[in-house]
Amino acid sequence: MRLPLSWLREFTDVQLTPEQLADALTLRGLEVRGIERWGATWNHIVIGELLEVGPHPRADRLQLTKVRIGKDEVLNVVCGARNIAAGQRIPVALVGAQMPDGRLIERAEKMGVASEGMLCSGTELNATDDGDGILILDAKAPLGVPLVDWIGDDVIDVDVKPNRGDLLSVLGLAREVAAITGAPLRSVARALQESSAKVGDGLALEVSDAALAPRVVLRVVDGVKVAPSPDAVQMRLKAAGMRSVSNVVDATNYIMLELGKPTHAFDRSAVGATLSIRAAKRGEQLETLDHVTRELDAADLVVADERSALALAGVMGGASSEVSAATSSVIIESAIFAPGSVRRSAQRHSLRSEASHRFERGQESALAPAAADAVASLLAAWAGGSARAGRLDSAPSYDAAERSVVYRPSRVRSLIGIDLDDAGQAKLLGTIGMVATPAKGASEVPVTPKRSVKVSGDAYRAIVPTWRRDLEIEADIAEEVARLYGYDRLTPHLPGSDPVGYAAQPTALRDVIRQHLAGRGLHEVVTHALVSEQLSARYAEPADAIPAALAESEGRAVGGSSAGELILANPLSVDHDRLRRSLLPSLLDRVDANLRYGANSGALFEVGRGYGASQGGPVEWTRLSLALWGEVEPAAPGGVARAWDLDEVKRLVAGVASHLDARPAYEALPDAAAGTLLHPGRSAHVFGDLVAGVLGELHPAAPEWRESPRILLVELAIRGLASGSPMVRSAIVPAPTPPIERDMAIALPAGVTVGALVALARTHVGNATSVELFDLFAGGSLGAGERSAGLRFTFQPESAGAADAAVETALDAFATAARKDLGARVRGAEGG
Amino acid sequence: MDLAELEVELRGLQKKALSDIATTEAVASLDELGSSLLGKRGAITDLLRGIGGLPAEDRPKVGVIANEVRAAIEAALEARRGSVGAAELTARIERERIDTTTPGPAPRLGSLHPIPETIGAIARIMGNFGFTVAEGQEIEDDVTNFQLLNIPEDHPSRDLWDTLYLREPGRLLRTHTSPGQIRTMRATTPPIRVILPGRCFRYEAVDASHGFEFHQVEGLLVDRGATLADLKGILDELARGLFGPQAKTRFRPGYYPFTEPSVAVDVSWGGAKDGWMTILGAGMVHPTVLENGGIDPETHQGFAFGLGVERIAMLRHGISDLRAFLEDDVRFLEALR
Repeated sequence: MRLPLSWLREFTDVQLTPEQLADALTLRGLEVRGIERWGATWNHIVIGELLEVGPHPRADRLQLTKVRIGKDEVLNVVCGARNIAAGQRIPVALVGAQMPDGRLIERAEKMGVASEGMLCSGTELNATDDGDGILILDAKAPLGVPLVDWIGDDVIDVDVKPNRGDLLSVLGLAREVAAITGAPLRSVARALQESSAKVGDGLALEVSDAALAPRVVLRVVDGVKVAPSPDAVQMRLKAAGMRSVSNVVDATNYIMLELGKPTHAFDRSAVGATLSIRAAKRGEQLETLDHVTRELDAADLVVADERSALALAGVMGGASSEVSAATSSVIIESAIFAPGSVRRSAQRHSLRSEASHRFERGQESALAPAAADAVASLLAAWAGGSARAGRLDSAPSYDAAERSVVYRPSRVRSLIGIDLDDAGQAKLLGTIGMVATPAKGASEVPVTPKRSVKVSGDAYRAIVPTWRRDLEIEADIAEEVARLYGYDRLTPHLPGSDPVGYAAQPTALRDVIRQHLAGRGLHEVVTHALVSEQLSARYAEPADAIPAALAESEGRAVGGSSAGELILANPLSVDHDRLRRSLLPSLLDRVDANLRYGANSGALFEVGRGYGASQGGPVEWTRLSLALWGEVEPAAPGGVARAWDLDEVKRLVAGVASHLDARPAYEALPDAAAGTLLHPGRSAHVFGDLVAGVLGELHPAAPEWRESPRILLVELAIRGLASGSPMVRSAIVPAPTPPIERDMAIALPAGVTVGALVALARTHVGNATSVELFDLFAGGSLGAGERSAGLRFTFQPESAGAADAAVETALDAFATAARKDLGARVRGAEGG
Repeated sequence: MDLAELEVELRGLQKKALSDIATTEAVASLDELGSSLLGKRGAITDLLRGIGGLPAEDRPKVGVIANEVRAAIEAALEARRGSVGAAELTARIERERIDTTTPGPAPRLGSLHPIPETIGAIARIMGNFGFTVAEGQEIEDDVTNFQLLNIPEDHPSRDLWDTLYLREPGRLLRTHTSPGQIRTMRATTPPIRVILPGRCFRYEAVDASHGFEFHQVEGLLVDRGATLADLKGILDELARGLFGPQAKTRFRPGYYPFTEPSVAVDVSWGGAKDGWMTILGAGMVHPTVLENGGIDPETHQGFAFGLGVERIAMLRHGISDLRAFLEDDVRFLEALR
């Protein structure tokens, strides 16, 4: 709400500077978004007096003027306007002035006569909206003074919260200002002379649904002469942020800004004998004032006559009954509409207006007749109108009962945490027009809008001003007391209370893993959860990537990759119209961006969520995703750097898994599961009950792929990543003997994986503390397709020699199984 | 061989040994020489093998002589080892000398993202006051995101949250972390002290200070006698934890449908950046919301606050454009390490 301070001062005296006022309002909860000096753009525009106005020798359109702008300073100005005469005071743009539209005023020859400035129209100053004439100022306007100092205004822009519709008015803000300053609030009553004609002569009012239109008031004003509003009115509307249209429309807008009550003026001649408020008929058409023909819905409320809809109630008038130059008699409609209904209509037709904004927030019933009277009075003053006697009022007693809220001052103290006695609270409430006195006998304290508790004694009853529709319950009163007491006066205090029981920190494991990865040189990233269809289509976790036991705590897409995507009904753009199923496409997108920024090596990770639809509703799951490319670490001078490859990635994964004491195993990913994101020949399924997922090189057909650096991708579900702690390990007391190492070289026939061999080794050599692959090669003396795998078994005997027999037995069993199950042959063994 | 002959041999051996030692130039050669003279199969032992043929009374004399020889050789060896060893060490040091002023190869240093790190900082500070962390769901329903938080359908306060809806009716992406208040109150019993961090979504055009995805941290305390002054106490501590010991907060009235009274909180940390910056919204939990959470507002009171993580991170790190958080430029991340 833009509040011109000149308008405010009509209601209450304000000694504060605009800045002081803004601070005071902000601390009262009326946040000031900005302070503006309206007219501040009028540089080098001063007040002048026309000494002479005469004809131009060579141009009939132009006149020559002499303008006095100071005691002895007279300018010769050529002017094209006709509404000027000697003796008038007018705004003069001096040479060097810049007009609001950017035009520079220069000394100029106009048809052979020098002009030393420009006389300004209201439009040129962006001060009024009515066209061609020069803005004629008051005869008292001081000569030579900058124009802004005479007709400029200070405007403060208050961010009015949705609960305080009463503050969308000069009057409402004036009440708050008066409460701050202690200065009295003046009533701006306007006298209204009524004619002998009766409002009801030839006009009836019908309200078909009192729930949607609880009160409708009509007035009729005859003899109206439609014309531009007085300049001062136009300027005030401009300062408040509204355009001037005509004196009739301006009168309704002026009262809307002043009292907060929207009204609508109909051309009487376009309305039949009955004005009714009714639900629209399905499919009924209405051309609104913006000249859009709208198809109405049965849930829209319209103002209509016996023939057709005339206005969308509370939202916008209709073109057929619009006030025009030919209008001579108007109907002023001032109504209370159900806020929700107006809001729905405004939303349905994408028509948010100043009026609907106010109706949505609820309206004070008493304003309905008051605003109708005020508009009628302005029409008399500005347009020569004459109000017919009386009003049509559908519900004069609507919401007339006095409302009050019973509250417990002790509860107010305990909510706020201040020691302000009962009388002190009542006194504060009095400053905003709430009379609070001790409640007599038993009374009901509204704890919530739906629930009251009975109390006797220790309660006050506060009479709620009619304009404060937001005050309903005890807590509302507490807020008012706190606000008036001053939030800045609260003494901070730390809550003492029952101790809260222990709860594990859900991010404990996640934080350990994040720190682990950062320590390994990876950068943590946060990427968009909302992605494009293209990005989303690139990858989804394969259905069986995550075992059920792990999915239970970490979640997974129900039905796997084919599971439904979650798509937005109202996306901002197609680039972000659905929730991601996997973090990998977003991560790859960031890799690509970083490569473009010149990062030829890098490593990113994200802990984030994937999302998917299931029959039971939306599902969210938590994953760790990694993207790595280029060098693992920069090479030492003269050295060679290791590049990220599957082995380096597995080393990283093993490091992460070590926090859960998990040892990930790998099996080849079916080509279909690799999709278009992972290299079918260089990707693997990471499996295990604690850590599972996929890893691989980027698919060579991917647009981001390049020969070098290769990009590697990993996405893992980790038990406890969503919520869990790192494991507490059991200690091992090392035996006083050195470990035994045994190496074994095994030739694998084509098609047998190392993963299968290692799994077999772990099964048969269960007494080994570790089984490592230390060598892998093909060719040489090996047969076609054969590969030789070197396995190193480590054993920890309890005492010297104790384990020898068991070691031999286990290794023999493994060798036999490898031969039998895998068709492998043992090429040699050593160690001991 | 008699005693005299043996003595001559031994003395001769000693003489030759001393001369050999004096001309030996390496510690390893000295060790070799030493064992060839004094070792189990060394020259002295060899000579003494003939001792069995001597009369019994001569044998001790031979022992005395042999020990003298042995001692002399050992002493010579020791002395020579000392000087040769020192020279060798000097030579090794010179040989191995390299330029140690090279800068050293760069480490690959990783970094943690300012958003989760800021959330972590808030969690640690609030942990001091007994607040634990719970992370809720990001896909919400209209009822929990709005209605139970005292934001009815068709209420103008809905304009405060521009919402992204899923195609599935009634489902939306949470516009704030506040629905976590309802879920927490329904899942636990007072006393409650919890913070609820996480990602939120709004239908909002992206600029330097807005995004359609952002992060919030909700705080909720429900207890018997919680007050607005307690809220101020807690938020003062949070401000100090985030912005330094000089930081102060300023409370002014605000408006949120789910709190009553509602507060807008500004922070100032003195020093160069003077003035007040609005960092969060807060208030006493609205009795309707307590009731919707299954808590009787007659017996319990609570306060809640919600802050924008991006805004806090921007203030802490001097970031002027929040788009940097999702841009994930490694150069940006490295600088915040």
